[in-house]
Amino acid sequence: MGDEHLDTRLLTELTVESQDLNSDAVRITKEALGEFAQQEQERVASRKSRAGLMAGVAGASALLWGAGRAAAATASSDDVMALQTAASIENLAVSVYTTASGLSFIKDGNATVAAFITKTTAQHTAHAQAFNAALTQAGAATQSAPNPKYAAVVKSALPGITTAADVVSLALTLEDVAAQTYTKYVSVVDTPALRTLFGSVAPVEAQHRSVLLAVQALLAGGAEDLITIPTDPAKLPAAAGSVGFPVAFYPTTNASPISEGAVQ
Amino acid sequence: MSRAEDWELPITEAQLIAMTRDLDEAHRETIPLMRAQAAGFAEELADTGVIRRPVGRRRFLVGLGGVGAGLALAACSSSSSSPSTGASSMSAAAGTPMSGTTPSVYTGDLKVVALATALENQAVAAYTAALAAAAAGKLGTVPPAVGTFAQTAMGQHADHAKAWNGVLQAANVPTITNIPLSTQPEVLSALGAVTTVSGVAILALELENQAAQTYLFAAGNVSSAGGIATAASIAPVEAMHAAILQFVVGQYPVPDSFLGTSKAASTSTLTV
Repeated sequence: MGDEHLDTRLLTELTVESQDLNSDAVRITKEALGEFAQQEQERVASRKSRAGLMAGVAGASALLWGAGRAAAATASSDDVMALQTAASIENLAVSVYTTASGLSFIKDGNATVAAFITKTTAQHTAHAQAFNAALTQAGAATQSAPNPKYAAVVKSALPGITTAADVVSLALTLEDVAAQTYTKYVSVVDTPALRTLFGSVAPVEAQHRSVLLAVQALLAGGAEDLITIPTDPAKLPAAAGSVGFPVAFYPTTNASPISEGAVQ
Repeated sequence: MSRAEDWELPITEAQLIAMTRDLDEAHRETIPLMRAQAAGFAEELADTGVIRRPVGRRRFLVGLGGVGAGLALAACSSSSSSPSTGASSMSAAAGTPMSGTTPSVYTGDLKVVALATALENQAVAAYTAALAAAAAGKLGTVPPAVGTFAQTAMGQHADHAKAWNGVLQAANVPTITNIPLSTQPEVLSALGAVTTVSGVAILALELENQAAQTYLFAAGNVSSAGGIATAASIAPVEAMHAAILQFVVGQYPVPDSFLGTSKAASTSTLTV
């Protein structure tokens, strides 16, 4: 492929356009991470205080046991596991999109699809960084590995991927899992700041899915020429107007358990 | 925009109908779950003393159907009849500020629920008005995909409003079937001024972004688990609406890596 097939003009425009729009979102994310770090510090301090009280009553061995238990409880809290699993999903998404971008039928195929893959890879990278930054601020281990469950799904699917439609189908699975998982985690995590963090990422994954659903329908309908920005709305089939948002409430039945991608 | 009459659909009508049916079934399957979640939300509010004990679950679900029917007819109007549970609907005209001395019945998390309901009603009303304008030929030729988008998004916003009104009803406070927002006159004015499909799409995009960001703010700021879960499940859907609208108006559909809250509606815009 030649790099000339990538719609660099579109990407440049997108980058410039999104920088301003994104500044507020970045601020929200930073604030959420800052609040989370502060709350984690307070939680650890509180547990240490309780452990110290126990020590006064039960002796030095109890102090060691209590402090160790408190530290372990912080490191293995639901919030930490949720962040690690989220990072694992993002790591896998980055890997899949990066691999896809190198496939000949993507590189030499529809320029808008290729640009979407490039942009989406960057967005998933940003999500992984945000989740891992929260883990670092909590004093917990970051997650650099891909999600084990869906890595296996990807591994078995890869040999059968021969068209852009196959890539779209695989990406749809990952985006839906990510969106469902983060939607669920908004309700699972204890820290309000993390609710905001997961809540700010879930809709973006849902938007990726929305685009992929529309692209899938247009590819299936032989209307690949309409996968372009700007498109010609007058030529879009009626179903293209609704195929991108199939449900009124985002489900969570396929959300990953928080332990799924936790660091062992 | 160019006319679409000469263009042939690349898939068959039967395929299209099947796709639409599948989508509708998927959509409907999520509704009972959300109604149950809304009922749980009201129970939770009662447990924390924010509201009185909600009505029984069976009565709640029966009443919810009535609210939904009322909403579809009354989203654009100033009032509607009360549901059978005894909780009355707000009768203030859309955009009319509440009396300065009358304390709001919507407090705490319920104020956010009331705001959410009003925003959903606002979206339903906007799409209803846009479809009416399109039918009257005031927007020029409307692409079929845009018409389908408006119909489907409107239906989903109505479902969101039903879910939130279910919470209000179960909490024994008046349901909201109008648009008690101080921003409504501005929206009405903007709607009245548009003469093109793209103009309507841009306005709709603003409403969708506002809704998505409001739900993000709500998820981080309300205290009840049911409210958090409901807001979290709706925000992605509003964002999906926005993505398709961005594509339709010629913009990149996923411009941001993270959803922000700068466009979120404030509860201070609520006029009841």
